[in-house]
Amino acid sequence: MSKLSTSGFNLRDRFGDWWDGATGVQKTVFRVVLIGLFYALPLLNNPVIDTPETSFSSVLFYPLIMFSLMAVGLNVVVGKSGILDLGYVAFFAIGAYTHALMSIHTPLNFWEIIPFAMAFAMLAGVILGLPALRLRGDYLAIITLGFGEIVRIIAINTDAIGGAMGITGIPGPTSIFGIEFTVMDPRPYYWLTLTLLLVVIWGVLRLTKRKPGRAWEAIREDEDVAEFMGVATLKYKLWAFIIGGAIGGLAGAIYASQIRSIQPELFTLNLSIMILATVVLGGMGNIWGVILGAVLLGYIPEKLRFLSDYRIIFFGLLMVVMMNLRPNGLLPRKKREHFKEKI
Amino acid sequence: MSKKLLEIKNLVVKFGGVTALNEVNLHVSEGEIAALIGPNGAGKTTVFNIVTGYYTPASGEVLLDGEAISGLRPYKIARKGLGRTFQNIRLFGDMTALENVATAADALNKSGLVGSLFGVPRSRRDEKKSLETAMELLTFIGLDHRAHQMAKNLPYGDQRRLEIARALALNPKVLLLDEPAAGFNPQEKVELGNLIGKIRDRGFAVLLIEHDMSLVMKISDRISVLDFGQKIAEGKPAEIQNNQRVIDAYLGVAEDAS
Amino acid sequence: MDFSILYTNFWSLALDGLVVGAIYALISLGYTLVYGVLRLINFAHSEIFMIGTMVVYFIIGLFGFTGYEDPLPLINFIGIFLLLTVGAAVISGGSAVLLEIVAYRRLRNMGASRLSSLISAIGASFFLVEVFRKITDSRNLDFPRLINKDPFFTWGTLYLSADKVLVIGGATIIFIVLNRIINHTRLGLGIRAVSQDERTAVLMGVNVNRIISYTFLLGGVLAGVGSAFYMVFYETTKANVGFLVGISAFTAAVLGGIGNVKGALYGSFALGLVQQYTSAVLGYNWRDVVTFAILVLVLLIKPTGLFGEALQKARV
Repeated sequence: MSKLSTSGFNLRDRFGDWWDGATGVQKTVFRVVLIGLFYALPLLNNPVIDTPETSFSSVLFYPLIMFSLMAVGLNVVVGKSGILDLGYVAFFAIGAYTHALMSIHTPLNFWEIIPFAMAFAMLAGVILGLPALRLRGDYLAIITLGFGEIVRIIAINTDAIGGAMGITGIPGPTSIFGIEFTVMDPRPYYWLTLTLLLVVIWGVLRLTKRKPGRAWEAIREDEDVAEFMGVATLKYKLWAFIIGGAIGGLAGAIYASQIRSIQPELFTLNLSIMILATVVLGGMGNIWGVILGAVLLGYIPEKLRFLSDYRIIFFGLLMVVMMNLRPNGLLPRKKREHFKEKI
Repeated sequence: MSKKLLEIKNLVVKFGGVTALNEVNLHVSEGEIAALIGPNGAGKTTVFNIVTGYYTPASGEVLLDGEAISGLRPYKIARKGLGRTFQNIRLFGDMTALENVATAADALNKSGLVGSLFGVPRSRRDEKKSLETAMELLTFIGLDHRAHQMAKNLPYGDQRRLEIARALALNPKVLLLDEPAAGFNPQEKVELGNLIGKIRDRGFAVLLIEHDMSLVMKISDRISVLDFGQKIAEGKPAEIQNNQRVIDAYLGVAEDAS
Repeated sequence: MDFSILYTNFWSLALDGLVVGAIYALISLGYTLVYGVLRLINFAHSEIFMIGTMVVYFIIGLFGFTGYEDPLPLINFIGIFLLLTVGAAVISGGSAVLLEIVAYRRLRNMGASRLSSLISAIGASFFLVEVFRKITDSRNLDFPRLINKDPFFTWGTLYLSADKVLVIGGATIIFIVLNRIINHTRLGLGIRAVSQDERTAVLMGVNVNRIISYTFLLGGVLAGVGSAFYMVFYETTKANVGFLVGISAFTAAVLGGIGNVKGALYGSFALGLVQQYTSAVLGYNWRDVVTFAILVLVLLIKPTGLFGEALQKARV
């Protein structure tokens, strides 16, 4: 069997060749080392990777790992299914408000609230998705954008949930396995999010490599034809929305538990656009690509502080440039093609 | 007389004020290759779009194996056993050939998303079956060696055949082919004719839209002719060849106002 | 909630609704014209409008007004206003043409997906907003009051003032001119041809790229003119002014049936009126929620708009 590698990221092909030829033990070792490295990141004290103004470990939590989690969620919607969701921040906000309100007004702790945060975000996905997903393309984009803004404006105008002042004094997670979650130390939150991110990646990869993944890609490629080929397009689009929403809600709950006070102004359209930019930069539809995008776009403005003031200018420009010059992102979703000569 | 698998009765279709199809009756019987011909704009593709549920007719009925299907969503109709190809190729370009076919094969099982996530036994079984069906169909049309190539990178002829394999993965009662020979050279047309024959022999009834008359005349069991949204003739190839109205329609003689 | 305001202030709300509607109309025409030729929502159009307001602010700054002057004599004001309008129209129109070249043209020629064009446009929109946020330091930029806004005519609660008359009168003239351009010039013919059927238009020898450029130009010029009216009426702008104005104008275009020029006019006036009446009852804070709700409802219930002809479903 010969491999047909088309143009593109050569390093990636080299790695792919190695990976295809690797034994099970080699793959396991590689995975363990890589994951171990990520867990060890906050312990590294290296001036090369350290960020000047905010401590590296808090940058690791926000924006790096938070962006990554949200990017993986949004990628299911935008990258896999081709649904442009400009209101993704709404799910994040719903998760954050769920944790904030429930942790204050109910006896439940963070771990017990997580399922609620995800469930409410999923419910919001259904409520928005059922009507909106009947529309296509740019109309859908506008509707989702409107949804994100409506959630924020309602939060500002509803005094029962703190109005424009938001909610303060949100409890953090209770300690688990002897790990304490304090205000001062962002590292446990990073480890928590990393663990959940790994679970989410596992789940998303399972889905995308099987029937649901094929259905989503078919919808992205040509929705009409997908329907003619027996794909229940509305159902799968709705699932994409629900799954993306659940991941966004999860991220929001963790975020609220760490920063301890939230305001509607944290959940603006800008955040939706930043997450979209990470997905676009990394490579729509490729889970590793979007994580790379999230890491780059989260890290670079923190490392180079002079850039951070111009962050959104840069993100906007990046979206135009990427679409025009490298529409598939840094790590395109291109599958490696195998090709056997017919004898 | 063999069973009618697809039956179109008194179909009327209007776009805005224009009548695209007027009181059209057609059928496809078991084990038959039926052809639908007519000049450009006669309404042939519209028939496909109605049958597959993309448009709703103003009036009339579409029966698939005796069951009324008009008004159903296209994916439901597809699952009941109707596969189609497209005049201008519409593959899922960024998916491999195998995935293209497997996507349609997936429609025949009921495995859901939650099952796939947790890898329940039924979902594993269905997954395996979809991929096997897809591979088997790729072998059938002679594309197994290209299974893992992107659909958009396949040569033109292979793309056309891949569309047929994808439609077959729905295990259709009737296969609708929309100009499958478009862009083919004479040699490829002969091969396509053989393939369609093989498809019929596997037990699929075929409804074919085609402009290449020698192909149509050679492989069809029965031909219907549309002109300006009306059926003007129907019969065996030899009858159609000698039908004066058909000849007039193709030569552009004005229709009499009957 | 106080519904009595609806009838006590019925006519003054109606007048304000028409004024706001006229401004929306000038902007929504840009959405609708571009949608007609490209079948694409020009996401960055709101920023073209924002640039117009910035130009107006900049030009007025050149005159050295402080905002404490006595109102200008009407004739002087009209002279200055014409200058502002022309300046904003030129720069906005030029920006729109440039935007099309940078954000859309290459993608269109590559045959890229709609998703790509949309993301490109959103990127351009964010880029422009943030550039102006940096330039203006996120400040509100106030426009001096150059015209006497005291009512010169009163009827019940209806107060007619010069600025409102100017907006409605000026916009009416623009609409008449636009109507002539679209229906009676070669350019209008080209735009209509491309809107109907791009492929046939190409076969008939229409230079589609040029028509698209002119369409963006026309939309940009209208948005520029709208920005001058906006500044006289609202007397303030900021870098992200385009977002909510743009959403309203877009909603108006959808309400009237996007792609339909007359529909954009009707939709704008209808939305302006609805916004005034609902804000009066619910409070100004909820205005944008109402706008979004209208947008969502129209798209879901009657996506062709209230006055739109049915758009053909994409052909299979």
